[in-house]
Amino acid sequence: MTRLLDLGISRISNIIMDMATLSVRSVDRAIEAYEKESGSKDQIFEWSEQLRVLQDEVTELAVELIARYQPVATDLRFIKSCMEISYGFSRFGRYAYDIMDILGTMGPLSHCDKNPVLDMANTAREMIHLSIKALQTQDKDAAKKLYEMDDTVDALYRKYLREIITPTNKKEMKNMITDPRCYLSTLLILRYLERISDHACYIGDSVHYIVTGASSPRR
Amino acid sequence: MINYQKGSIAAVTSEEYANSSVDYKLSSAQAYARGYKVSIRNLNSWFGVKQALKNINFDVKENTITSMIGPSGCGKTTLIRCLNRMNEMTPGAAVKGSVYLDDVDIYANGIDPVTIKRRIGMVFQKPNPFPTMSIYDNVAAGLKLNGIRDKKLINEIVEESLRGAALWDEVKGELGKPGSSISGGQQQRLCIARALAMQPEVLLMDEPTSALDPIASAKIEELLNDLKKDLTIIIVTHNMQQAARVSDYTAFMYLGEMVEYGPTKQIFENPQKELTERYISGKFG
Amino acid sequence: MGDISSIQEKRRSVIQDAIVRQNKKRRLMDRVFTGVTIACIALAMIPLGSILIEVVKNGASAISVEFLTRPQGSIVSGGGGIGPAIQGTLLVVGYASLIGVPVGVLAGIYLSEYAGNNRFAYIVRFFNNVMTGMPSIVIGIVGYILIVLAVGSFNITAGALALSIIMIPIVVGVTEETLKLVPHSIREAGHSLGIPKWRVTLFITLRSAKNGVLTGIVLALSRISGETAPLIMTILGTSLFFQFTFEGFTDPVDALPLRIFRLAALPYEHAESFGWGAALVLILIVLSLSMALRFLVLDRRYKASGGARL
Repeated sequence: MTRLLDLGISRISNIIMDMATLSVRSVDRAIEAYEKESGSKDQIFEWSEQLRVLQDEVTELAVELIARYQPVATDLRFIKSCMEISYGFSRFGRYAYDIMDILGTMGPLSHCDKNPVLDMANTAREMIHLSIKALQTQDKDAAKKLYEMDDTVDALYRKYLREIITPTNKKEMKNMITDPRCYLSTLLILRYLERISDHACYIGDSVHYIVTGASSPRR
Repeated sequence: MINYQKGSIAAVTSEEYANSSVDYKLSSAQAYARGYKVSIRNLNSWFGVKQALKNINFDVKENTITSMIGPSGCGKTTLIRCLNRMNEMTPGAAVKGSVYLDDVDIYANGIDPVTIKRRIGMVFQKPNPFPTMSIYDNVAAGLKLNGIRDKKLINEIVEESLRGAALWDEVKGELGKPGSSISGGQQQRLCIARALAMQPEVLLMDEPTSALDPIASAKIEELLNDLKKDLTIIIVTHNMQQAARVSDYTAFMYLGEMVEYGPTKQIFENPQKELTERYISGKFG
Repeated sequence: MGDISSIQEKRRSVIQDAIVRQNKKRRLMDRVFTGVTIACIALAMIPLGSILIEVVKNGASAISVEFLTRPQGSIVSGGGGIGPAIQGTLLVVGYASLIGVPVGVLAGIYLSEYAGNNRFAYIVRFFNNVMTGMPSIVIGIVGYILIVLAVGSFNITAGALALSIIMIPIVVGVTEETLKLVPHSIREAGHSLGIPKWRVTLFITLRSAKNGVLTGIVLALSRISGETAPLIMTILGTSLFFQFTFEGFTDPVDALPLRIFRLAALPYEHAESFGWGAALVLILIVLSLSMALRFLVLDRRYKASGGARL
């Protein structure tokens, strides 16, 4: 016999998985747009909006399940975490949208050095994938791995920031500074990527909480 | 370790959360010294050849509400009936082990079970006011039949107990009416008042709301929260949500054993045992 | 899916058809059954009604103050009344219940509250049942041998003892049964207040069963009020009032059933009318006992409110 609660829980997990797919696609497309100077802003706008609606739906459904079935133990922890996780996914969409927004404002950037962003984007995307996989496999140890990766992302961000504000004689840097669009866009996008990796960590935390019942020691 | 009780409304200290499973190695004297009102040690019970309780150990803190949950026949009712030596009045029942009330083992030689029952009150599953007595007499019965003659004292205690049971305002004009003429919820509060009249230190409740409608049940639950200022309450319930609502600690019993015992928030949010999780999530039982 | 719903449809129509077919038969059976029960009630009421009518018709004319208060006049010419018989019945029955009620109630309490299912209780219950069916003449003989022969004359104590022996098994049985009807939780509530067991039993359990026990006692009183055989063997009957002196306790006493029995044996017309009158008085005494119980003693308030329903 199926518990009535299980019907709701499977619905909520389906929405979460849809959100995962959608947010991964948004971030991928935004990075691609930066790299190749192509892609449609409207498409990502739409996805981001969809993610926001889905997040509302998850919250509604979670509250309804709590009100109707008074879930306990793992069920309760899962439902509570779904609210947080869906927020994370909707943030991924939002940052992808923000990145597209920057690209629109800055115009062509083909003459800039894109390596810092692309480096960090690889790590951030890997983190998103890792957090989704952790969610699917209920891997409580993923959080630890995610935080290690987050540390490298933070380090990268700080390193780049320091480089920009430090006067330099290096040729390529000089080049860059002569066009503020290069370092401004890089810095802003790095900032969004850094936020994305934070949220990937939070998803890892939620998975850890679902499995063990204890909040992650890092938060 | 995160400070769990931060968000909990139950009266549980963070130290107890840190030590979530009660330390059974405490001697009864140590438990008493730490503010535990009732300490159960190696309690076993049989009905004929069937063992109903298997080596139960736990401590109940003073001025808290502890609930017992578990499927039918798990021994939760037998357990609380052992706590005031009511169980041994059932033909064929046998008890072995110790139950400490403060620092006295109520199963020790020379302890009169009747005296123990004066210190530990009990409320039953179905409201059972004495059928041929008025509301007043129901509350006064315990005093009168224990030989108290002082009319003024009895009057005082009757009013106080009815107030304590949140019934006074509803019945003060008709104390002479038969105890069985009021509604089921009121009858159950009358039974609580009757128990309170004996000024008990511990109140045992055996599924006290199972025969009542939700509104009457909610009233009893609110009442319990008021009562725990002066009393230690142990309640058996088959309604898990009720246990989650009213109690500070929850014990899960299965097949005569205590599977898990801990702060209510922990039992319902993050049970440590698979069996507990399966039971409270409705996956069996 | 289609299959399942068509099977369901078929089943529904089969059940519906069966109900329609049964309907006619069912209605007829309902009526027949109701008719039979009413007929049986009528059958049961006929003897009771005709006895009452006959007794009132023949006895009412005999009733007068003199009849109720005077001793019997001349056997041949009539006159006087049945005063000693009324007095004797009230005294003997009262005396018997003084012995029978406490013994019966306490024994009933023992069986219900203390004995459990032990061997001794089993034997007591068995003998109690035997006693309930014991022919009353045999009990009269016991009273005769035990008391009458010992004292040397017919006397009221022997009569009361014989009647109490008839009464006790009835009271024991009713007390035990009614006490067992008191929910166990009522006793437990008493014990949980730290009240000693004997007080719980007397002041809570017995009090809860009060209506049933009293009804049983009145039933037993009615039964012994009409007993004749054991009284012949023990108080014999007399046409004199009982004297409240030491000697009074060693003299024969009269009682209504005895008087009716003797009057019925006389060939005179006035005796016959006296006999009917005495029978009416006896019925009225028994009836008033039941009425008094129902309207004065039994606490109907509690009964109506669903307490111990007996």
